[in-house]
Amino acid sequence: MTWSLNEIEGLSRKAARGAGLSWGLAEEAGKATRWLCAAGLPGAEALAGLLRQNDGAEYETLCPLEDTGTWAAKGGALCPLISGAAICDHAKDIAEGKPLELGETSFPLLLLPYVAAAAQENETTLKLEWPGVTVTFGAETCIKQTIAGALDLDCTKAVRIALTSAEDIPPLAPITRGDIDPEIAQVLSAFAHRTYAPDTAQSRLAGAGAGLSDND
Amino acid sequence: MQQTDSIRIAPRDPNVVMRLARLGSFHQSRLSFMRVLLRRLKAENWQFERGVFDIDARGVGRAVYTAHGPQRSYSLIAFANDLPPEKRSDRVIATEWDATFTLFDGIPTPSDLDRLSQNVPRQEAGRITETELSLSRANRSVRLWDYVVDCLARGQQPDQARIDDVGYLMRTTAVYGSGKFGAADRETTADRDEFQAPFQIEMLSVFLTRAVVMDLVEHMAALRAPETAVPLAPKLRRRFGIGNSTGLGMAPFLLNHPALLNNWIAAREEALARIRALPEATAEAAQSFCDFAKRARLHALSWQSEHPIQIAKLHDLRADMEALIAHLTEADLTRDTPWNRLWLWGETALAVEGQELLASLLMEPYGDLVDGLSCCMAADEGATWRIDGAMQVSDLRAITQDVYGWALEIDWAERDATARVWYTSEAKLEPRLGERFDEPIEPYEQPLCPGRDAARMFADLADFPDGPVAGFLLKHPEHRHVVRRAQIAARLPYAEIRDNTIDASVLPIDMLRAKLSFFGACHFDPRSDRWLRINMFQHAPFPGELAGGNADDWTYPYLEGRA
Repeated sequence: MTWSLNEIEGLSRKAARGAGLSWGLAEEAGKATRWLCAAGLPGAEALAGLLRQNDGAEYETLCPLEDTGTWAAKGGALCPLISGAAICDHAKDIAEGKPLELGETSFPLLLLPYVAAAAQENETTLKLEWPGVTVTFGAETCIKQTIAGALDLDCTKAVRIALTSAEDIPPLAPITRGDIDPEIAQVLSAFAHRTYAPDTAQSRLAGAGAGLSDND
Repeated sequence: MQQTDSIRIAPRDPNVVMRLARLGSFHQSRLSFMRVLLRRLKAENWQFERGVFDIDARGVGRAVYTAHGPQRSYSLIAFANDLPPEKRSDRVIATEWDATFTLFDGIPTPSDLDRLSQNVPRQEAGRITETELSLSRANRSVRLWDYVVDCLARGQQPDQARIDDVGYLMRTTAVYGSGKFGAADRETTADRDEFQAPFQIEMLSVFLTRAVVMDLVEHMAALRAPETAVPLAPKLRRRFGIGNSTGLGMAPFLLNHPALLNNWIAAREEALARIRALPEATAEAAQSFCDFAKRARLHALSWQSEHPIQIAKLHDLRADMEALIAHLTEADLTRDTPWNRLWLWGETALAVEGQELLASLLMEPYGDLVDGLSCCMAADEGATWRIDGAMQVSDLRAITQDVYGWALEIDWAERDATARVWYTSEAKLEPRLGERFDEPIEPYEQPLCPGRDAARMFADLADFPDGPVAGFLLKHPEHRHVVRRAQIAARLPYAEIRDNTIDASVLPIDMLRAKLSFFGACHFDPRSDRWLRINMFQHAPFPGELAGGNADDWTYPYLEGRA
């Protein structure tokens, strides 16, 4: 069974919200997961892993602290969804030549769509690197992996995002459907389910507006 | 002849247009998606074919209707069912229907049909694939279906008054598009000319559904009494549209697609402004407008509703149409910016229902000024979706005051101001509206109350030091969604509904009607404050009639002696 990209985005948005992210961050998490799946990358797996790992953690322990030169989280590893959104918000600085250094970061794969958006919004070419991985975002996205498995790591020690010129690596071929492992879909659905109100007799009757007959 | 200079008329102020009471008084127009579709089908000479029609005497079976365009073909696949009456419900929580449908991208093979026969009748519980573009279902009108089958089987035509009381034989209870339940994403077909305007897939599906349903009713009569049965007389046949029951599921759409909403409204407002700016009108255009006004009056008279809110609005609308027609007998409609003078007269003489009908009517004689705007009604939502983190906090404060000024004036501590909660139930993910202070639903609240959220953001902005918005967002992730909305609405003036969507007095049917009017629906008939029925394609030509008939001028009843 394949998924439409809209389904993946919707499920991921709801899962991120169910896991405790704000609506705005969850919206971007949905778009990010969709982007990864459309690039043939295991975005749903990374999201499921991240949400499971950070379930119950406070935003303050996961968000980047601004006061040092390197972004770092109080609680250990940065959340790539929060950091990714912040990277987009700081895109102009990066595009103007101010590189961004991140410390320990969970599931760095999830940063890709945000850096891609930052590059696109500013019509520039950006490079995202962590040990074993270099990704270039310009007119096309090009991924170079020098250590096997580094792209899908649960955590990396350091991430760097900087202005660059385009590199000569074969670009990703976009795809229009997503393939999600049923177990992963189950994890995301369980998080998404937290956003649904339990069905009650009262809400069933009034919540959608009983009113006049619907069988005439 | 007096020389009149062209004048510049600005599109209307979003603070006027984007109020719920006004959005809930919109009417179909030349820009409605049904009309855009039929104009294209006619102009491109689309051909239609009934490929399969295999339905037994119990009404169970399948049918395939194919539309052939200049480059591609699309097939509506229908599965008919023998539904026990106690299972018939328009609610999303229903699990069986009288008929189910999918619009297939191309012409299905027998194995496609077999695969879909296992899934389409189950609707949300089944799976479709990227070759399917929509998924929908319909229930019979209990009041009309058996009556029409009976009449036809006996060799008689049904009574026109009884047909007009209902207006359709089946009503759809959901038409799902873009990626739902595995269907193709809109993005995969958006570059096709025929799907450039919004909701063309869904409108094509409903247009073909109407043809299937009319053939089905005649087929059932013929199976019941092969010796005596007759088909519907063509003139009566046209009087059947396809009904539609629409509930809360549609309301969040307008809030979740601000750039798209802007483009719909902006196209309509641009059309109105262009016409108001005309320095003069030809006698033909003036006569055409007067005819449309008279026809719209008949339309208003035939519009029925049992709901007190709509009864009052219909009273207004009918009085408005009388006032308009009386005014037209003495108004000069050809000189001295006639349409702007008429518009300004309407702003004071007509209720909101009548004003918005006047806006639609003014477009009728001016296809050359209006129809081209339909290509601006799709939206590249990605282009405005990303937050500009470099915007200064002081600028965000200023745009919040500009876009959400109305919300900053509301006392959000008043219980009535936040009485409602939009949420999703775990039962079939049905969108619902609940009572914040009576039900334990607040933890499940959806972000569908931009006014309150903007006011909360504004309160936190007040104390925040100036600098890039990026810093504010890092500190306040809970405002991220509304920062996005504010930035979109600052660029796109009609992106935001400028009213409190969680007030104790909110009428979700206003949001439903705004959207449905852009579809081209008529005869809005609220069944409560949160769901309504409409009629689609009533009086429209059938697929086979498009080539020889008028594809666009069918919404309003014709005047006596003209057709």
